[in-house]
Amino acid sequence: MTGMMTVMTAVLVIEDDDRIRLSLMLALEDEGYNVSGSATAEEGLLLHRRTPAEVVLVDLMLPGIDGFECIRELRRDDDVPILVVSARDDTHDVVAALEAGADDYVVKPVAIKELAARLRALRRRLRATTPPIPTHVFGDLEIRPDAGEVSVRGEKVALTRTEFRLLCELAEHAGRVLSRPQLLQRVWEYETGDERLVDVHVGRLRHKIEDDPGAPRRLVTVRGMGYKLQR
Amino acid sequence: MRGVGLRTRVTGGFAVGALVLSASMALVSYQLVRTSLLDERERTAVRAAYFNATVVGAGLAADESDVVRVLRSLETGADRRPMVRRDGIWYARNADQGITAAIPPHLLRTVEDGHLAVQRVRADGQPAVVVGVPLTRSTAFYELDSLQELDRTFRTLALALFAVAIMTASAGAGLGWYVTRYVLRPLTSVAETAEDIAAGHVKTRLDPAAEPDLARLTTSFNHMVDQLAERNERDRRFAADVSHELRSPLQTLSAAVSVLSRRRDRLDERSAAAAGLITDEVERFQRLVNDLIELARTDQPAHRSAVDVADLARRVCRTTGVSSDLVEVTTDHTVWHVDPRRVQQLLTNLVENAVQYGGGPTAVRLGHQNGRYCIEVDDEGPGINPDDKSTIFHRFVRGRVANARGGGDGTGLGLALVAEHAAAHGGTAQVQDRPGGGARFRIELREPTP
Repeated sequence: MTGMMTVMTAVLVIEDDDRIRLSLMLALEDEGYNVSGSATAEEGLLLHRRTPAEVVLVDLMLPGIDGFECIRELRRDDDVPILVVSARDDTHDVVAALEAGADDYVVKPVAIKELAARLRALRRRLRATTPPIPTHVFGDLEIRPDAGEVSVRGEKVALTRTEFRLLCELAEHAGRVLSRPQLLQRVWEYETGDERLVDVHVGRLRHKIEDDPGAPRRLVTVRGMGYKLQR
Repeated sequence: MRGVGLRTRVTGGFAVGALVLSASMALVSYQLVRTSLLDERERTAVRAAYFNATVVGAGLAADESDVVRVLRSLETGADRRPMVRRDGIWYARNADQGITAAIPPHLLRTVEDGHLAVQRVRADGQPAVVVGVPLTRSTAFYELDSLQELDRTFRTLALALFAVAIMTASAGAGLGWYVTRYVLRPLTSVAETAEDIAAGHVKTRLDPAAEPDLARLTTSFNHMVDQLAERNERDRRFAADVSHELRSPLQTLSAAVSVLSRRRDRLDERSAAAAGLITDEVERFQRLVNDLIELARTDQPAHRSAVDVADLARRVCRTTGVSSDLVEVTTDHTVWHVDPRRVQQLLTNLVENAVQYGGGPTAVRLGHQNGRYCIEVDDEGPGINPDDKSTIFHRFVRGRVANARGGGDGTGLGLALVAEHAAAHGGTAQVQDRPGGGARFRIELREPTP
């Protein structure tokens, strides 16, 4: 895998099932990723601290620290895209994983083609800086797409890449309603997908940019239609 | 006892009970009153007849010849008619109006034998009491006392008692209706709770303190619901465990197969063919497991939210590789309140079905009429055999076209899921013949009531 001109994306797979981890690593290497794997969250976190991955795939049911805790740990000081690959598809688990900070969620068994597409979409969000977009200012909320910075009352707010893309998308169409499918398409690049992704991310975004996330004034829900960023 | 409600039965029972009670009371009191009044009247008649007989006896003893004059000297009202029979000949104050015929022969014999006799008879079609008093061996005094006045009293009494019985029965029915309303009120809350639970609010329970008299019903109802919920939860957990156990090895297979198929050209012909078979089969297995998991979840209620179905249908068309121009909208209301995930899968399965077995869809129609959302997917395949129309939505049933393809790539669950998703929305799934050939799958979903 050496000798290629482009720098390969580093992917970390945290999965306790040896066979799944091995097969995922083989298949993802085929897709052109530089894959490392770990069987526990502890080991994975350590590995990520030493050589930061650009995307992390994480299973939810792990021995010791579980997947949810692992995601929270990763999110503590990092906006690395996190993709959950789990056999669990209960609403409860999906929402909990997204609330912990995951960017996307796929249910096992996922076809490698599909997984690769998800990873590409996550990667694109990483470098969504071209072309230069002017700074959006909505009262005391300031969004600088170029710098990837958001501040409320002059104070910087740490957003993940997905949250940032979501906010930019809403900011570009400020004052207009974007439906959940539209947001899924624009942010996650899903033609059809799980609308809970949008809801949970909007919830997380509100916690960061609203004074009272329970009674949002900036990012409002338009019942039966979608979400809107107030001008 | 279907057809007649508990309430009607209880009300009817109360009415009949009240009627029987009041009717028998009325009957008994009528009989008592009648008997005692008649006895009293008879005694009066006998006393009066005795007195008159004494007067007539004395009169006849003084003046044997003119019986009629002696009779006329009697002080009797219009209701009493004194008569004398001597040597078989009748004497009366006025001309005999046939009333002597009303006196029964055995009464005459009793009197002629020297005994006092009393009997109720009908004279001139009217009730009366006749008293016979023997005077001498050949002479007897008779007095006919009309009971017409008393008879009228009896009629009035009977009418009054009848009216009372009817009124009591009506009052009984009213009481029954009123009482059942109160008795059934707690049952209404049971019914409402059951409906609530059926609608998916599985945590709803009855309050045992609300109706102490129905505590047993309440506790057993709650117990039953708890048991059902527990069993549901066990089944759900089992399905989740099984699915998890199946999904993990499938993930390994899926990833390993993709590595294999990437190197297919480096394999020899036989290995490549085998790898191809494995790849296809793993894909089918994957779909089968996903469909089974989905099917295991279909008993959960639909999570409705506002969805732009026209947009959804177009996206489904694009992802399944058919033109989104096929979507025809025949309604202004394309924002439906449905479960987006279920409707998306329903549309995907129908369109994929049309692509695989129906020569591709010719239209995906969205309509809205009579409180129902309608989805129609037309194809230009050979249509569905009439024998298969009723079973095509059953699990693991494949149409003939699918079978002709050796089982095809389908799981045999696609249309079963369509039917389940429709049912979750209180709707139906049907297959019809499309005018001009091909099949038309028509799905109706019930619009939620606001």
